[in-house]
Amino acid sequence: MTTPLLDIRDLHVEADGSPVIHGVNLSIPIGETHVLFGPNGSGKSSLLATIMGLAPYRVTSGEIWFKGQRIDALPVDKRAQMGLGMSFQRPPALEGVTVEAFTAAIGSSALLESEASALDFNGFAERDVNAGFSGGEIKRWEILKLLLKRPDLSLFDEPESGVDLEHIAAVGKAIDRLLGADTPADPQRTALVITHTGFILDYIHADVGHLMVDGRIVGSADPRTLFSHIKAHGYSMPPVTANVSQTI
Amino acid sequence: MATLLGADITPEEKQQLAPVGYSIEGEHSATCVLVDQDVRHIAVNDPDVEILPLKDALTRYDWVQDLMFKLINPTENDHVAQAAESRHAPVGHFIRVRKGAKVRLPVQVFTLLETPQGRQFHHNITVIEEGAEVEMISGSAVPPSVHAGHHLSISETYLREGATCRSVSIEHWGPAMEVHSYARTHVGTNARVIESNIQVSPVKHHYSQSRTVIEDGGVSNDQSVIFAPAGTGRVMESEIHLKGVNARSESIARMVTGGGTITNRTTLVGEGRDTKGFLGCNGLKLSDEGEILSVPALRARSAQAQLSHEASIGMIDQAKLSYLMASGMSEDAARDLIVQGFLNLDAQQLPEAIRVEVSRTIAAANSGAL
Ligand SMILES: Nc1ncnc2c1ncn2[C@@H]1O[C@H](COP(=O)(O)OP(=O)(O)O)[C@@H](O)[C@H]1O
Ligand SMILES: [Mg+2]
Repeated sequence: MTTPLLDIRDLHVEADGSPVIHGVNLSIPIGETHVLFGPNGSGKSSLLATIMGLAPYRVTSGEIWFKGQRIDALPVDKRAQMGLGMSFQRPPALEGVTVEAFTAAIGSSALLESEASALDFNGFAERDVNAGFSGGEIKRWEILKLLLKRPDLSLFDEPESGVDLEHIAAVGKAIDRLLGADTPADPQRTALVITHTGFILDYIHADVGHLMVDGRIVGSADPRTLFSHIKAHGYSMPPVTANVSQTI
Repeated sequence: MATLLGADITPEEKQQLAPVGYSIEGEHSATCVLVDQDVRHIAVNDPDVEILPLKDALTRYDWVQDLMFKLINPTENDHVAQAAESRHAPVGHFIRVRKGAKVRLPVQVFTLLETPQGRQFHHNITVIEEGAEVEMISGSAVPPSVHAGHHLSISETYLREGATCRSVSIEHWGPAMEVHSYARTHVGTNARVIESNIQVSPVKHHYSQSRTVIEDGGVSNDQSVIFAPAGTGRVMESEIHLKGVNARSESIARMVTGGGTITNRTTLVGEGRDTKGFLGCNGLKLSDEGEILSVPALRARSAQAQLSHEASIGMIDQAKLSYLMASGMSEDAARDLIVQGFLNLDAQQLPEAIRVEVSRTIAAANSGAL
């Protein structure tokens, strides 16, 4: 068996002194897209932020491994440089930092124009990053930001919430492209996606769904089956398949 | 067809002035360089622009004497009094832009202090005549070998009725220098002044005092970009008088301390009817060292003056840093981007060479300070 790209072992996390993750185990093999479902406040955003290394999340026990290296003590820039990237749920507004300046600072100026047009984001080069963007514009920028960098493992925190119907397909397709739909010869790109609405499942090929409740992953299943069950019965596991490995 | 006065400046001097805006003289309507206590070099390519050493202007035009010490009180303080009572002929430039001229290329004016522990004392007078329009770049610099010295300047600028002046000034003094500057501007009826002031390089103590009086329908817009690395102290005191009916002003200061101290006192005075003015003072503190004191004041003398201000001082937000670092930027690069964004250099419409120099200076001081 090959080493998974991301491997989380019995992870416990607190934020500003409050425990928020209580023993999560999660493995994502290279090239797979996993989806995280769960009620509000169940710890989904906390888990993604902890993988990325953002404050105020602090690992109290357990381990996070990425590309065979332990990363839970690394600063956020080192993790990003190793190939992690995240589309934020509520990113900060960066007054004075234009989209153009940001893009230059990550060395991707040459890609901006073409990537922006796919997300209907042309004309934003002079705008300040996330400052005065609408909810949907923020989401489109967050995806564009990842397209400019093409991380090996992309973390998406509710990438489609707040996106208007007119742009939902563009966002879905952009994520699909980011995950390698345009480069079938390179099936390496991997993702962990939080979704509330499930819309995103119509656009990407998701391999595994996980259900998170109260800071724990309580079960994993085929993502579409799991989402249909949640829609009909609320946040619980479908009865037949408690373990995804039995279904695929 | 350039009119030349004095000697040329050397290639080394050109190189020292480039980061504060000096560029090809043929692309400017006029160039003037003051070195130590000399008006070293004047080159004029446009008949609508006249530049003379002030002492020559005083004898050539009998009205120039009446412009001197008119906007500044000769007993204002010891520095100014010393200048007013000096037996020596004044050193400085006289710039005149003729009535109605729309000067196409910018005028560039520079000051160099080349002697270590030199004493420099300048009095400059500028007159933009009725309806004239001009763009000015002014810069001050020292060669790398000069650390200490004293520069003192008085400037009196007149914008006559309907005149427009856009100016950018940038200063790059030695780290152990003392600098005192007194600037007075008279914005005539329906005249407009748009000004950017950039002070970002290390200097021991810089005191700058300015006073702008705006007549009926006149407009003043100024933006200051202020950075104080460790060891630098800056004190700015400015007054803007909305004197005439419908006079307007907007004054924005962006101040960053990387360990130095900045004091900024700005007073906006609404005297005329239907005047409108705004002061914006934003400070950013990069570490626990240093201090920013920001004192914006409003004084309304007319019931129809509409005055407002906004002031804030903060630290770099950790969430913003992490956000940038999550895209792979190092902490230093992320800080730089935030600081430069805060200073909003793009909005100043700076010449490229100046923008690059400012970014470089801040980046250098920034990484040194951490
Ligand atoms: N900085 C914080 N300080 C204290 N509690 C926090 C902090 N961030 C998140 N939490 C708590 O952690 C729990 C999980 O939050 P979150 O990860 O945002 O949930 P989800 O994304 O699943 O809606 C919530 O109870 C939330 O209040
Ligand atoms: Mg969340």
